[in-house]
Amino acid sequence: MEYVSPEGLRIDGRRPMEMRKLQAEIGVVAKADGSAVFEMGNTKVIAAVYGPREVQNRSQQLSDQALVRCEYSMANFSTGDRMRKPKGDRRSTEISLVIRQTMEACILTQLMPRSQIDIYVQVLQADGGTRSACINAATLALADAGIPMRDFVTSCSAGYLNSTPLLDLNYVEDSAGGPDVTVGILPKLDKVTLLQMDAKLPLDIFENVMQLAVEGCKAIADYIREVLSENTKQLEYRRGL
Amino acid sequence: MGETVVEESEELATPGDVLGRAAEVKPGRGAYLASHNNLVYASLTGRVRTVAPPPGSPDKRPTVEVIGHKAHGAVPEPGSVVIARVTKVLSRMASADILCVGPKSVREKFTGIIRQQDVRATEIDKVDMHSSFLPGDIVRAIVLSLGDARAYYLSTAKNELGVVSAESTAGATMVPVSWTEMQCPLTGQNEKRKELN
Repeated sequence: MEYVSPEGLRIDGRRPMEMRKLQAEIGVVAKADGSAVFEMGNTKVIAAVYGPREVQNRSQQLSDQALVRCEYSMANFSTGDRMRKPKGDRRSTEISLVIRQTMEACILTQLMPRSQIDIYVQVLQADGGTRSACINAATLALADAGIPMRDFVTSCSAGYLNSTPLLDLNYVEDSAGGPDVTVGILPKLDKVTLLQMDAKLPLDIFENVMQLAVEGCKAIADYIREVLSENTKQLEYRRGL
Repeated sequence: MGETVVEESEELATPGDVLGRAAEVKPGRGAYLASHNNLVYASLTGRVRTVAPPPGSPDKRPTVEVIGHKAHGAVPEPGSVVIARVTKVLSRMASADILCVGPKSVREKFTGIIRQQDVRATEIDKVDMHSSFLPGDIVRAIVLSLGDARAYYLSTAKNELGVVSAESTAGATMVPVSWTEMQCPLTGQNEKRKELN
């Protein structure tokens, strides 16, 4: 099947280096300490953060840093066919672990010993790149909760189909069987916290694809920064400052 | 106490923004020092605030802070004065739920323990816990330490610490008459408590 037309357009009309439309909203779950909805094209994800709060399971308490827990689940209606087991299956457990490790690297956990930070992420609509959308949503929710972080973590995926590196794969391109590289970085500090790939790629092409994903991450970071600044200004305006 | 000069800039900082070099500024709340390149970065989203160093200090660097919009609940620190409600009284200790730390109330409850030897400063081995506290009393105490895994260690062993308010068996709020007794306004009966002066 042709994923990139001879004119250089993808199935949804994007150019190979073009990302999908980003949209984010903060403070959507009033009860949570921080929350955000993040959309990348048709993929829509909601994240809620509770914490720092007292550890519920004393045996897991860490005396010198905060405990970070993460739970990823997909809503039954998020994919075309109704899902039978949205939580607890292997893919969800793996993605929960991945998101937890990624966010733990950027939260300043030593500032909050003996406490717990819970990150809940749920996919409302899945169209490829759910892992990345979840990490971006979790970053926004953590910033909204006022949890001290080293830097944002932004994530983006890139692939290689029809001999072209493609940025931000959607579901159809993801299921094509080609390589899918997911990168998570700390944009200002220029450090990589997540790097995953399935399928195989020669090393030189891999470098190109990874560099493309990193640029996508930096563009998402600019957008997130803008959303947070706008949100802070709105809050100050409402407080009459 | 000298006035500290505080300057609030129009700048909005987000996590990861560079606030200055370690040689020029000190990281305060909402900022941190990255040891690998000696730069001070922001860790919260909010306005940047520069606080001048106190006049007598040897360190001449101003402190840079980021004021976030989310207020976190207070957390008891060793040395802070807390208000707690007594939940259990046993022969050698009393258990209390910490309600306020200083002037701020807490978001979620913390548990504290007042041990027999920490109730008062004199004759600490002759303390009768049931003559000092009863369940339901509101006490002002000081946090001794983070304690064990279950509770903070509290102390009322000072003149200004002890039972602030208590209910008598008749149900009325009692009035303190001395540092060991409180009186019920309805029945006139005195009940023993560790009062504050």
